[in-house]
Amino acid sequence: METQYVPASGLLGSAWLLVLIPLLGAAVLLLGGRRLDRVGHLIGCATILVDFVLGVALVAALAGRPEGEKAVTDTLFSFIPVGELQVDIGLLLDPLSAVFVLLITGVGALIHVYSIGYMAHDPARRRFFAYMNLFVAAMLLLVLGNGYVTLYIGWEGVGLASYLLIAFWYRRPAAATAAKKAFIMNRVGDVGLVLAIFIMFATLGSTSFADVFAGASGLAAGTVTAIGLLLLLGACGKSGQVPLQAWLPDAMEGPTPVSALIHAATMVTAGVYLIARSAPLFDLSETARTVVTIVGLVTLLYGAIVGCAYDDIKKVLAYSTVSQIGYMFLAAGLGPAGYAVAILHLLTHGFFKAGLFLGAGSVMHGMNDEVDMRKFGGLGSKMRITYITFALGYLALIGFPFLSGYFSKDLIIEVAFDSGGTLGWILGGGAMLAAGLTAFYMTRLMVMTFLGRPRWDSDADPHESPAVMTVPMIVLSVGSVFAGFLLVNVFPLADWLEPVFGPEPEADHVVAPIVVSILTTLVVALGIVAAWFFVARREVPVRPPANVSPVIKAARANLYGDAFNESVFMRPGQWLTRAMVYVDNRGVDGAVNGLAAGLGGTSGRLRRTQTGFVRSYALSMLGGALVVVVAFLAVRFV
Amino acid sequence: MTDFPFLLVLLLLPLIAGLGLLAVPKHRHDLIRRITLGVSLLVLVLTVLMTVAFEPSGPRFQFVQSYEWIPDFGVSFSLGVDGIALVMILLIGVLVPAVIGASWNEGTDAGGKTGKTGSMRTFFAWLLVLEALLIGVFAATDIFLFYVFFEAMLVPMYFLIGSFGGPRRQYAAVKFFLYSLVGGLIMLAAVIGLYVVSANEIGQGTFAFDALRQISIDPDLQKLLFLGFFIAFAIKAPLVPFHTWLPDAGAEAPIGGAVLLVGVLDKVGTFGFLRYCLPLFPDASRAFAPAILVLAVLGILYGALLAMGQTDMKRLVAYTSIAHFGFIALGVFAFTTQAGTGAVLYMVNHGISTGALFLIVGILISRGKSRTIGDYGGVSSVTPLLAGAFLLAGLSSLALPGTNSFVSEFLVLLGSFGPYPVFSILATVGIILAALYILLMYQRTMHGPIKPSARGFKDLNKRELAYLSPLLALIIVLGVYPKPLLDIITPAVNATMADVGADQSSAQAENGGGD
Amino acid sequence: MPDLSAPSISYAGLAPVLIVLGAACIGVLVEAFAPRHLRWNAQVALALFGTVGALVAVILVAGSNELTAARAVAVDGTALFIEGTIAALGALSILMFAERALDPAKSAFVASAALPVGSSSDRKLSAAPYSQTEVFPLASFAIGGMMLFAASNNLLVMFVALEVLSLPLYLICGMARRRRLLSQESAVKYFLLGSFASAFFLYGLALIYGYSGTVDLGEIREAAARSGSSDALFIIGLALLIVGLLFKAGIAPFHAWTPDVYQGAPTPVTALMAACTKVAAFGAILRLLYVGFGTSEWTWRPLIYSIAIVSMVVGAIIGITQTDVKRMLAYSSIAHAGFILTGVIALGDAATAGRGLSSTLFYLLTYGLTTVGGFAVVTLVRDGDGEATHLSKWAGLASRSPLTAATMTLFLLALAGLPLTSGFTGKFAVFRAAIEDGAWPLVVVALLTSAIAAFFYLRLVVLMYFSPPADDGPTVGVPGLPTTIVLAVTAAATVILGLAPGAVLDLAEQAAVLVG
Repeated sequence: METQYVPASGLLGSAWLLVLIPLLGAAVLLLGGRRLDRVGHLIGCATILVDFVLGVALVAALAGRPEGEKAVTDTLFSFIPVGELQVDIGLLLDPLSAVFVLLITGVGALIHVYSIGYMAHDPARRRFFAYMNLFVAAMLLLVLGNGYVTLYIGWEGVGLASYLLIAFWYRRPAAATAAKKAFIMNRVGDVGLVLAIFIMFATLGSTSFADVFAGASGLAAGTVTAIGLLLLLGACGKSGQVPLQAWLPDAMEGPTPVSALIHAATMVTAGVYLIARSAPLFDLSETARTVVTIVGLVTLLYGAIVGCAYDDIKKVLAYSTVSQIGYMFLAAGLGPAGYAVAILHLLTHGFFKAGLFLGAGSVMHGMNDEVDMRKFGGLGSKMRITYITFALGYLALIGFPFLSGYFSKDLIIEVAFDSGGTLGWILGGGAMLAAGLTAFYMTRLMVMTFLGRPRWDSDADPHESPAVMTVPMIVLSVGSVFAGFLLVNVFPLADWLEPVFGPEPEADHVVAPIVVSILTTLVVALGIVAAWFFVARREVPVRPPANVSPVIKAARANLYGDAFNESVFMRPGQWLTRAMVYVDNRGVDGAVNGLAAGLGGTSGRLRRTQTGFVRSYALSMLGGALVVVVAFLAVRFV
Repeated sequence: MTDFPFLLVLLLLPLIAGLGLLAVPKHRHDLIRRITLGVSLLVLVLTVLMTVAFEPSGPRFQFVQSYEWIPDFGVSFSLGVDGIALVMILLIGVLVPAVIGASWNEGTDAGGKTGKTGSMRTFFAWLLVLEALLIGVFAATDIFLFYVFFEAMLVPMYFLIGSFGGPRRQYAAVKFFLYSLVGGLIMLAAVIGLYVVSANEIGQGTFAFDALRQISIDPDLQKLLFLGFFIAFAIKAPLVPFHTWLPDAGAEAPIGGAVLLVGVLDKVGTFGFLRYCLPLFPDASRAFAPAILVLAVLGILYGALLAMGQTDMKRLVAYTSIAHFGFIALGVFAFTTQAGTGAVLYMVNHGISTGALFLIVGILISRGKSRTIGDYGGVSSVTPLLAGAFLLAGLSSLALPGTNSFVSEFLVLLGSFGPYPVFSILATVGIILAALYILLMYQRTMHGPIKPSARGFKDLNKRELAYLSPLLALIIVLGVYPKPLLDIITPAVNATMADVGADQSSAQAENGGGD
Repeated sequence: MPDLSAPSISYAGLAPVLIVLGAACIGVLVEAFAPRHLRWNAQVALALFGTVGALVAVILVAGSNELTAARAVAVDGTALFIEGTIAALGALSILMFAERALDPAKSAFVASAALPVGSSSDRKLSAAPYSQTEVFPLASFAIGGMMLFAASNNLLVMFVALEVLSLPLYLICGMARRRRLLSQESAVKYFLLGSFASAFFLYGLALIYGYSGTVDLGEIREAAARSGSSDALFIIGLALLIVGLLFKAGIAPFHAWTPDVYQGAPTPVTALMAACTKVAAFGAILRLLYVGFGTSEWTWRPLIYSIAIVSMVVGAIIGITQTDVKRMLAYSSIAHAGFILTGVIALGDAATAGRGLSSTLFYLLTYGLTTVGGFAVVTLVRDGDGEATHLSKWAGLASRSPLTAATMTLFLLALAGLPLTSGFTGKFAVFRAAIEDGAWPLVVVALLTSAIAAFFYLRLVVLMYFSPPADDGPTVGVPGLPTTIVLAVTAAATVILGLAPGAVLDLAEQAAVLVG
């Protein structure tokens, strides 16, 4: 790649502030104690807003730089210097990380503001904002790191923040368990990431992006593939991709703003970032890329199917997220043609999915934290702003023509077809099918929530949320409407990212783009109609119907994903643990105590020879003497 | 490098103070506490000064002092520290004041239904004596002297466990003592054997480490002597399968004792690997390394699984240590600079984080009067500070980046990946298990609906904050900026690796692993 | 017809023995003529004069290496070192004899040994404030005998010495004031078995004489060298001699008497036996093996080797389950006899000449001091009928009397061979000698057995410190001056010989000379 990493200078040298400010915010809020309870949320928002402003300034400065110098690094300090291992903590601001800085600080700021209202009645609001700040800091470190170790630190940092925030309402056992599940499954992915780092050091002697990418071409093909697959494992953990998807839906136990920021817009897309960032490695391994696309395809179908069956509004959105990130993986796996597209979808998705979650939060806010859509209905009239903003996000997500989703998703499907060969058809077809499913479950969600007759609980009194919550929703909905158009036509993202991914190869279209988008739109329409046909036409039962087809049963049980984990990992694990405890107590320790007991027993038996009778003593002496004499003679004459 | 006799002072100060305590009237609790704390803080200051005065680029052993002791045995009273010993002594200096803070009321509940027999005076006296002996064992550069400290330090710990421990303290104390004694006696045979070898090699016998390091020993004999030392250290460390004394000792010991036992005393084993096994018996070390690495990895996974299976918090922490010692052994016997440095740093970090974990668990137990995890629940809603400290120490124990343990664990795994990819990968799986046992314990005690029994729990008081916060701060500081320690440790490790003749490039074996 | 010109006798060299025996004889006269109220003090003074005088004499003649009294008695480094040790330990034991503060009846010894136990007059006298002061001269005779035993270069003299040391011991074993039946039983046992052992010795002596025509150790060695020592007479004779000595040293499998006698005898006497008798017996063993049969080392070496193992194992293992302090210490002494033997076999060849010998001498000294100290503590812990020797009685002793417990712990740790105590120095010395001599398997066994032995030493510590005090616990007597001195000396020695043994090690090094 011709772009050189040049040392940071001037304003660009202050990128470290991006990380430090929210970090300090978190520290102050945590250590400040109760005396900060009344201003905690303001501090929490202030830091992120400042960060956003700084972020914009930095990106502007970066944009102003000449071609080929659009990547500045800034080594902060020497972290682990041992022998030939020299790990530094350093930052890299290039077009790719710049995009993420804007996404994280921008959407982050909006959601922080929203949270002021959403968490208004929570006694632990200060703690909430502290964790949120911590998350932003870690996420920024993740995307700004100039080497895999720095990235890994941020990677684990967001994991910790995610853990803390999922378990924010830790008195609910479900929340505590979900948090733990998330952390553990992420750890499984982390193993992949660290092993990849080890291989890099073992083969290249360094872990910084610059050295690794420079040396990558010299590596054995097998090594590159290994690194790629291990990185993919890490990405799957963080982004809730099959087979490590199970934690993401459970993570909805956290407060809704958390779901919006961490489990929709930013953290869960870190996997996509990792793959895009490692493009120079993936470019070298066809195999690794193919596996990425397959993971993406499987996940996006999985998420879409399961999303159709759930009644919990947040869970549906969560599976939608799983599925949408599947799109991104699919695109990223397609190599140079796909990286930029993947990032594009990542951004648009960041807008509308965040918006949708905030909308869902607003609904719950009005329905005293009810999440079962079967108890909603007809809310559109009660909360208009929420309704409209949510509707716009919905349209964007299903890819309604000329809204953001339309641009990004169609591009992905298009590129999938263009990748050629049977795989190309499979990928493209799958992606298109999923578009239809998306339309189905989202329409179902819309209908069940905002249309139809009310099915509220008696005590429910739905009302619109305060401005502090609705304004961010409005802003995001605007984004969901225009982002796609802007990023494709006005400020083409692809060109912006070219220094990172190189020029987009001239695609020779297997299917004409126009055909693709028409087909896609038709499939989407089909999905909507189907949803209308099944859901809106007749009354929605408050109890989920029991006698349903096995397909729906399976979907309701998230296609037995959790069941699989429990029966293959959890239960055997617990059994193994119990077995080991037994072995250690009875076996290892038993052997030692047994030895001691043995000695004691021998002692007891020998002790009986001490009868107290002189005659037996004398006898023993005589015997001893005989032995001695015989022994002597033996030694001498034998 | 100054000529102030740091080591001698560090050795004598707590020793004399400890014996001096016996002159203080039994019931003057406050006086006793103040003296002990004062002395330990003074020791801390001295260790810090010594660390500052230490020149990483200087000679291998610094602050060297040597006095004739038993000429007939060729024994001299020789002290000196390399980077490895130095950081361990620094660790002692840091931990002991915290331990004193945690043991503030130890021995006031003697007699009564606890059946405990020790008084506060004896507790603190033994504590200071133990500190002196621990410093000595790391500072000794004469193997006979090392052995003397190695055995002598059993006695204070034995009394700390036996007189102040939990219900099964007698069993635990004797088990601890005999286990270590057996190891020590086997080592004694090897020590004498080494002496005899030296007598044949260089005219008259010696125990001086530097002299012995240079003699060459016939490989078969090396194997025997190596095993003599190794078994002693493996019991002390402890490596699976020599570990079963630790859960009992760790669980029954008073919190203060447990911290020093697991935090420092056990490190003598891993320290011994580095200081004595590798340099003195390089061929044997290389020959046995694969087998030992198997034990190490086994320990990592086995210890973690067992930790998950525990219902007693102190036993759980003890088992986590067994897993951690597996990591240290892995680092030591991977024979790379990174892994070795990681192992030494691991010794320090483990002392801090597990020490903190033990102290926190101890506080929790002091509130709930039970060691059983199941007796707690939802505690964090009444004691946020305690919960926070618990989480931080726990995260360090599971080696989360940003905490001290990450650096050492990363170095060990990364350093061992080059020469031994398979072992390294297996060990890496251990980090998942680590997350499991820590978070399980945290969730069961701190999360969920609050148990009625826990409603009355008090949060951390000033004293507890005072002795916890330095350790917690170190967890972060050393996690973000470990360079100063690394700079001290690395040269010593390099020297050791040179002694063992490890191929330095093996850390970066060409296309090691991967393909 | 040889002329009977009297042999030249170096009285200086014999002075130590003569002083003790002389004191003993005077003691008999005192017993006969001095009025009762004077006797006690007179006897104590005499006995102390004898032992201390002997010690002084040893120091004065130190350095001389000769055979005197027609080669019958050796006055060499080893002999003098052992005589000195015996004299010192003897003096300490005598002090314990002289303790009057502990027993309510002023003495550990019976008022009138001749009375049948339980008879009315016996009961009347049980609390009488006077006792059989004969014990002092008897002890002196025993001590004198021991010194001669270790110094004799002539089997006949050795036998005579054996009897001189044994007979008084048999007697005073039975003179306990408390638990008289037990005491008398032990006396009888000791007597019977002792005579049995003497018979072995005497028979062996006869065979050796028959083989070599001499009882002089030096000449025996030459005879053996001449005829290659492959004669059955010679072999069996040597075997029987060794059996006799092993018995005195209380080495398995000839240890059976030890626990019973140690338990039954008055504790001061037990101390005397455990310390002095053992030292003397080992002195004799060294002399017999290296002076008399040095050239035929390969005849006896394997046997001593295996006997050492047997003794260590038996002592350590049976010791685990003992419930009586004195019996426990008895088994400990059996195990230690084994440890000492590891030094005995390591006298080695020219290369490491003398190291085994010096280390053995050092070990004997340290072991003796520690043992005397241990038994001295035992005399302090008492209940209704004398000393409370059952382990259960020692529970929680630390809380009742910290100092006593601490002192006992010190001795126990020394016996267990922990560093910074004399026990460790001694063990280290003998084990080093053994390994240098190539006997490392023996050392490994020794180390493992000492680990086992450590268990029962620890058990007592656990009882004293970690167990809550028993309700019907014993009282810890306040020792009078004599026992205080004993405790002070032995404790100090145990620590000093652990911290700075250099000087004494040098002494042993210089003393490691066997002439003849």
